[in-house]
Amino acid sequence: MRAFRIDGRPAAPRVFALPRHVAGPLAVLAITVVAAGCGSTSASTPKTAAGSATPSSANLLGAAYDTSTPAQVTLNGAGANSIEPFFETVFYQYNQKNPNTTVNYSPAGSSVGVTDIQQGTVAFGDSEIPMTASQLAAATGGTVLQIPVDLGGVAISYNVPGVTKSIDLDGPTLAGIFDGSITNWDDPAIAALNPGVTLPNLAIKAVHRADSSGPGYDLDQYLIDTAPAWVTAIGTSTPSRTWPEASVGIGEQLNTGVATYISQTSGSIGFVEYGYALQNGFVNAAVKNSAGSFVAPTEASIAAAGAKATSLSPTDFNVVNEAGSGTYPIANFSWTLVYQKQTDTNTGIALGKLFDWVITSGQEDAASLGYAPLPSNVVTLAHNTILELESSTGTPLFSNGA
Amino acid sequence: MIWETTPMSPDAVSGLAGAWPAGRVRRALLRKRSRFGDGAYSALRWAGAGLFGAVVLGLLVGIGSDSSAAFAHSGVGFIWSGTWNPAAGQYGAGILVLDTLLTTAVAMVLMVPIGLGTAVFLSELAPRWLAGPLSTLIGLLAAIPSIVVGLWGLLVLTPIFANQVEPFLASVPALGWLFRGEAYGPSILLASVVLAVMTLPTMVSLSRSAFGGVPLADREAALALGATRWQVVRRAVFPAARAGVSAAVTLAVGRALGESIAVAMVIGNRPAIPESLTTPGATLGSAIVNQFAEASPGIGTSSVIALGAVLLILTVLVNAGGQALLRSGSGSQAHTAGALR
Repeated sequence: MRAFRIDGRPAAPRVFALPRHVAGPLAVLAITVVAAGCGSTSASTPKTAAGSATPSSANLLGAAYDTSTPAQVTLNGAGANSIEPFFETVFYQYNQKNPNTTVNYSPAGSSVGVTDIQQGTVAFGDSEIPMTASQLAAATGGTVLQIPVDLGGVAISYNVPGVTKSIDLDGPTLAGIFDGSITNWDDPAIAALNPGVTLPNLAIKAVHRADSSGPGYDLDQYLIDTAPAWVTAIGTSTPSRTWPEASVGIGEQLNTGVATYISQTSGSIGFVEYGYALQNGFVNAAVKNSAGSFVAPTEASIAAAGAKATSLSPTDFNVVNEAGSGTYPIANFSWTLVYQKQTDTNTGIALGKLFDWVITSGQEDAASLGYAPLPSNVVTLAHNTILELESSTGTPLFSNGA
Repeated sequence: MIWETTPMSPDAVSGLAGAWPAGRVRRALLRKRSRFGDGAYSALRWAGAGLFGAVVLGLLVGIGSDSSAAFAHSGVGFIWSGTWNPAAGQYGAGILVLDTLLTTAVAMVLMVPIGLGTAVFLSELAPRWLAGPLSTLIGLLAAIPSIVVGLWGLLVLTPIFANQVEPFLASVPALGWLFRGEAYGPSILLASVVLAVMTLPTMVSLSRSAFGGVPLADREAALALGATRWQVVRRAVFPAARAGVSAAVTLAVGRALGESIAVAMVIGNRPAIPESLTTPGATLGSAIVNQFAEASPGIGTSSVIALGAVLLILTVLVNAGGQALLRSGSGSQAHTAGALR
């Protein structure tokens, strides 16, 4: 549809547009890198102008594999644990095809992503929940751009001997399991939802996140939406990343901690990002959606939830309990956080190219990893957000071509 | 000083100087006194001492100023108030303090007898061919980083505790009430076991050195009086090694109080009033691990730092208490030696 080029100049290396005091050292660096490379011709044939040939609506610069990036860049990021399986794969693939860009991602949790970008210690952060106005105000490096980069779901996974198929659970029952009013697997509330399933007389061991988390926020939102008793128990109707203190059971760190506990403890039930549930081969509950049907997390049911996000924005991000009979009710987008003004132009260019690839070609890997590809309107939103990247002097790093 | 050092005999000192007469040695030392080396060494000493003091002072000032917002927000009640619920803006360290003391106490109850027993075995009873390799092994155990012990607790002990140990303990007739409730696996008990494993090697090697420092003559004297092996240990070795053993316990307590990451992996991270030893809990250290990276700026962060301040105070108090206990007990030491029966 549209072609995008660096600085609006056809195929020209962007370095020429830089202020002299930046360009000088950069050129030296570029020469060093080219000289250090083993005689490759990569620097001579940028493919930027080929953007229009790409069928995808928004493959920025068409330069995903463009090895003409003038210098080697290492991008350090930190944030959501839930996106780690996806990021790990796409960053690796990007680096295979574009060896000049190396990405290190530390999956320490959404809130770490927010804090780290606020303090400018990383090139990009990632959070399952967009930053709030007050969090944005606390950012030390100016305006933060929030780019939706993946669509995932929160699986309710369990380990009950003898129950190998997906059981049905609704909001009030889940709330009962987490607030301690349902303590045994053969509880009538669970049995009523699952006629024909033999549930053992076994104590329920509920496990939640000990750190604050995106999946915890999403499930909290779902329970608030569907279970009045939950709102009473936690004393608020505002969802929180920190799992409510009113909950019973134990807390484990990160998705991996929760997943480890579920896999080794019979009678356990907990919530993890669907990607982790898939990796662990968990049996996941089919959760009652707003249309009244019970839906298990799959690529299709998560995609159905994402498709409802027709007006997605960092302030309108909620895709929990969306309408539609095939919709998985606990879904969310993950948001990559970058500063609009990039003090280092090379880093800014590399960031823009990387994430434009992630939101387009990178999505091909989503399904096999337990995520759903971004809907096209979200890709456009993400792409337009990337176009807002600027150099330290306020010049756009990228621009739409003709 | 914790360790009793035997002063060198005058013979040994002059022996160091070889064939030189003592007067010549002293003159040689005096002649060099005001040279550059002495000055540099003195400066280095003062710099070292000053730096150490500055670091401690900086730490105290930093923690104090960063946590002041939390104490201003929650009052002194922060230390004993029971609710830790950042989601609702409620901050109180009470349950965390309780769980910290509880895990440490249970860990010591489990660890000290085993540690002392092993040390006695190594120093008094084990044949030499066994004592050597065993000591090396314990030294290795001491070098295992706490996160590895924590992983072992998470991956190996958790399922065993959830499926076997905790249900079994709850079914023990007289003690079941101590272990009642859901057998989750991660619990105060499991955290205590992990802490016990973690502190055991330090305890064994330090007390073994303390036993080793007891003069052989004391043992021989006891044996000559007709003491059995046990009586030798009980009446001659223990009293003399008392200071060293206390130091070992103090170190172990300090480590157990402050251990964070391994505890966070096995305690279940739920700050609720413990109903039994098998309920999940949260210690000051584990709460800091879980909350610090993501505490909301302002009161949230300050409250987490305040947890650190409380932990610091707690550690100092426990250490001071231990030393006071030791001092009050040392008066009776002279009598115990004579109480050999």
